[in-house]
Amino acid sequence: MWPVAKLMIPGICGPGMVFQIDGFRLIYLGIGVLMWFVSGVFSLEYMAHYEKKSRYYLFLFATFFATMGVFLSADFYTTFIFFEIMSFTSYVWVAFDEKEESLRAAKTYLAVAVIGGMVMLMGLFLLYDLTKTLRFDELGEAASHALSTSPGRLYAASGLLLFGFGAKAGCFPLHIWLPKAHPVAPAPASALLSGILTKTGVFGIIVISCQMLAGDRTWGMLIVCLGLVTMFLGALLALFSVNLKRTLACSSVSQIGFILTGIGMGDLLQAAGESGSLAVRGAFLHMVNHSLFKLVLFLCAAAVFMNLHQLDLNDIRGFGRKKPLLMFCFLMGALGIGGVPFWNGYVSKTLLHESIVEYRFCGAASVCPALWQGAEWIFLVSGGMTVAYMLKLFVALFVDRHPSRQEEFDALSLSYMRPAGKWVLAGTAVLLPFLGMTSHLSMDKLADLGQEFFGQTGHAHPIFYFSLENLKGGLISIGIGMLLYTFVIRRWMMGEKENENKEKGGKITHGMCYLDRWPSWLDLEELFYRPVLQVVLPGIGGWVCGFLDRYVITAPMAVFLAVSAVACRAMDQMADSVIRMARKTTHSQIPPAFSLSMTGDGEALGSRTACGVERRWGSPGIFARKRRERTRAALIRIKERIQRNGRLVEESFSFGLMLFAIGLCLTLGYLLLVFIRQ
Amino acid sequence: MSGLFLALPVLLPLFGGGAILALHLWSEDKGDDRFMELLVEGLVLANSLVILWLLKNRMGANLVLFRLFGNLTVRFKLDSMGGVFAGLIAFLWPLATLYSFEYMRHEGRKRIFFAYYVMTYGVTAGIAFSGNLVTMYLCYEMLTLVTFPLVLFPMTREAKSASHHYLYYSIGGAAFAFIGLVFVLSFSATGNTEFVPGGVLDLQTAAGRKNLLLLVYVLAFFGFGVKAALFPLHVWLPRATVAPTPVTALLHAVAVVKSGAFAILRFTYFSYGAGFLKGSWAQWVVIVASIVTIVYGSTMAVREIHWKRRLAYSTISNLSYILFGAALMSPLGLAAALSHLVIHAFMKICSFFCAGAVMHQTGKTQVYELNGLGKRMPVTFGCLTVASLSLMGIPLFGGFISKWNLAQAAFDCGNQYQSGVGSWLPLAGVAVILYSALMTGIYMLSVLVRAYFPVADCQERGRQKDDVLCLEEGRAEACDPGWMMFVPLVIFGGMILLLGLHPGWLMDLLTRIGGEAGCGLWQS
Repeated sequence: MWPVAKLMIPGICGPGMVFQIDGFRLIYLGIGVLMWFVSGVFSLEYMAHYEKKSRYYLFLFATFFATMGVFLSADFYTTFIFFEIMSFTSYVWVAFDEKEESLRAAKTYLAVAVIGGMVMLMGLFLLYDLTKTLRFDELGEAASHALSTSPGRLYAASGLLLFGFGAKAGCFPLHIWLPKAHPVAPAPASALLSGILTKTGVFGIIVISCQMLAGDRTWGMLIVCLGLVTMFLGALLALFSVNLKRTLACSSVSQIGFILTGIGMGDLLQAAGESGSLAVRGAFLHMVNHSLFKLVLFLCAAAVFMNLHQLDLNDIRGFGRKKPLLMFCFLMGALGIGGVPFWNGYVSKTLLHESIVEYRFCGAASVCPALWQGAEWIFLVSGGMTVAYMLKLFVALFVDRHPSRQEEFDALSLSYMRPAGKWVLAGTAVLLPFLGMTSHLSMDKLADLGQEFFGQTGHAHPIFYFSLENLKGGLISIGIGMLLYTFVIRRWMMGEKENENKEKGGKITHGMCYLDRWPSWLDLEELFYRPVLQVVLPGIGGWVCGFLDRYVITAPMAVFLAVSAVACRAMDQMADSVIRMARKTTHSQIPPAFSLSMTGDGEALGSRTACGVERRWGSPGIFARKRRERTRAALIRIKERIQRNGRLVEESFSFGLMLFAIGLCLTLGYLLLVFIRQ
Repeated sequence: MSGLFLALPVLLPLFGGGAILALHLWSEDKGDDRFMELLVEGLVLANSLVILWLLKNRMGANLVLFRLFGNLTVRFKLDSMGGVFAGLIAFLWPLATLYSFEYMRHEGRKRIFFAYYVMTYGVTAGIAFSGNLVTMYLCYEMLTLVTFPLVLFPMTREAKSASHHYLYYSIGGAAFAFIGLVFVLSFSATGNTEFVPGGVLDLQTAAGRKNLLLLVYVLAFFGFGVKAALFPLHVWLPRATVAPTPVTALLHAVAVVKSGAFAILRFTYFSYGAGFLKGSWAQWVVIVASIVTIVYGSTMAVREIHWKRRLAYSTISNLSYILFGAALMSPLGLAAALSHLVIHAFMKICSFFCAGAVMHQTGKTQVYELNGLGKRMPVTFGCLTVASLSLMGIPLFGGFISKWNLAQAAFDCGNQYQSGVGSWLPLAGVAVILYSALMTGIYMLSVLVRAYFPVADCQERGRQKDDVLCLEEGRAEACDPGWMMFVPLVIFGGMILLLGLHPGWLMDLLTRIGGEAGCGLWQS
């Protein structure tokens, strides 16, 4: 196969970094370069009117290097390093606008990235502890050994890693950042976020599923289930969405579900003794395809946004009319992602579908065939929903007419995009049908190159993509999509929207509108994550810490201070009474030089003796009355200063020394006890 | 005779500081302080050079300065562990002094400040070079006394109260440490308290009174833990942030608190010996104490909105990383603890210096006042970004290395027990470290996010008129500080990156020290 090259840099960042290049990585390197090139060229136009361009470009390139680092890495340590860098540099994209909404989305993004990163790190710790290596090529063996000795820990480690990678990939239930972050990020950046940054998460999941736990049934089931749920829910969210970029973001979630299903099916098929190559080829091709669709679709969205600065379907409808190039590109993307035969999405979806069917009919699934039939139907329905929401977008953009601004939109037909943008967009869009139509020549070759990374070698039995059997699956999906569109979207999700127009006092109907039928309270982030992370955890943690602070530390401290103050007073009193007694008996002839009085400092724990000594020191004494008058002012100043500082220092010192003495006394007392007992 | 050099880094700053104080009494502080600055910087730099020279040429030197009575001697010794600490402060002190010249420019009573600042250097060097527990204890007490005037320095009500607390806690803690000293002396195999890798306890005598000795260990751990801000004895640290920033940064993030941690490491590995403590209930108690402190410190940091106090809480949590490593009682644990001791020093001093630079340039002390400053003070906030990411444990930065080592050491410790407390407690520690990393993310990144991405439309939101004002004010005056503050910041930021990218040399050294100090483990 493809010659494998390795690069090791020992010592850097601790354990050192390992890079590798092989077929899969080469392809992703190529895709990465293509995507950054295209969106970079597009950004030139998109960013033309923004102030902080240089910041955007800086982080664009930083993220490029980090992402390439992830794809080239050959051990989890290296992956983690670049993964984290990528998370932080791409954060700046999301926060770029600095509007309240973007900052909120950016916060979500950062929180998911940081939490994901930390959980992943925990997973790495556990894994390293189990296997003593993080190199991909050694992990398989080490993991199979660990699987026999301590399977629980290995699954825990893999689960934690899955959490970290899944968060980036947008896997349910950690997909929350995608629908928030995409609409607010600059559109070329969204294309990258969705097209390739999510794939770095998938990259990690592939390594776990196909290299570490290859052919593990439990793990395969987990990934397949996650994949199916993600695929279905993502599509459902996309169907309900009325925001162009949000729909595309939800669609990304759904497509990642397809990929995960393929990866999981690979494991399951292998566990059942079959070759998993069908499934992993499908997963890999779908990864590649999805990167390309999303590049095209998001750049189309970018073209809309940079002219209108709006993304709501009701505001942008009709924008695409009389703009054939935009329509062509969007159509290519939509047909591709919808899985229409002769476009590239069809090929990868067919492979994925085939793999489910194959597993359904092989021996392993006989336990519960209905379950796998269900899985197949989820797959087909999700495909149908993909068609439906793409149709919704297409109709909104290119068929509908805007009720009031249509002429304005039409006037933009010549100036809505610069030539450079047009060229790169069209160039990318043409790739999609090209790949789909030459599937045996192009896509099979890609799959051959890539599948080695998934732990599959050798050729799968050739698939005739356009055989009747395979076309049937695709056509069922498209049929479902059409039905959904006509009956659900047009009937239920569109309707008369009545807006109160306060200025005119009357109600104005806007005609048929796209309605947001998604119940607004049903938001996983608002419903679960934010309350838990912002209220419950800090609330409880903060309350506990506050409680500790208040009662466990402050209260005993206060009690201790009070008790020791009483003790001090008592000792002080004792010393005073000794002096007083001496004065009354033996030293009675000496008149008192000064009167003892407490200085009223509420916090005073210090002794009267100390106070008295200081007084005496501070005052010039009885024999110097004349001198005192001469230097009165200076002395009073000095006295005040010394008193102020002196009291403070003495109080503190005396108390500290007292504490010291208590410790000393305890020790000596104990020692005495020990010696007596001996 | 060559050993006499060892006393030089301790005595030079002490006498130097004394001389500055005498100068203060001799003549009025006229505000013309070029001469004093040169003197102080020269003194500190010379002392650092002496320390570095000693580290290079006189490893293993030994000096009995004088005898107290009997076996009690004041002894200085230069071994590799003390060398690490000494090297660290020798690197930090001249830069921090440079920073404080500019920071203190507008303050009065500078001579007093610098006198004590320099004297602290000597005492800290004394702790690093101490050859036995008695010397370390003496230096430890002296450190309290020397740094007390620095906390008191602003002479405000707050500062007075803070210095009260500082004294109470430190001296009270030292009393507990003293109990430890007495017991080590009476159970010592050699009859003195020399630091010997693997401990000096006479194991046969000690075996009979194991529980008692363990109790004393726990007491001493908490006693020394006062300086290392162990919960619930940490109260003085957040309060002490009223001191000028150079004090907070160098002393209360590095010299003083690290002396506490260093003392615990010495006491654990060189007096008691990790072999004696390993697997005992005392070990679990101190691990739990450090875990609780980690959680407490990082959670309280999130609650705190005063920037320097927030950093102080962060210090509390990070110091307990070191104590956690120490409490693992293994060579790996010691190496990890030392690595965090070194790396955290750079991260925290860098963050404090950034906070200080902002305070100095704009007078802002609260986190919510920092809106939009990131663009006005790019270098300051650039360094803060590096320090924050490092504190969180993001790879490429130093903090990740020590976190990685700590986790490895913890897993290693956990693997040695099949069941019981030992098998899960270290793992819980790792989980807590990651929880703390998450909290670090919240409390450090919220500062950065505010600084870099100010809420642009706050005028419309109405309620934040102050923010708008701050924003405008910030635009008007804020800029990066002058070179004296600028250079240390950039050097520390660079060091964090260097340690993150190329930690091999440091880790080799620390692993060797860990191996030496843990030798008792393999014997027993």
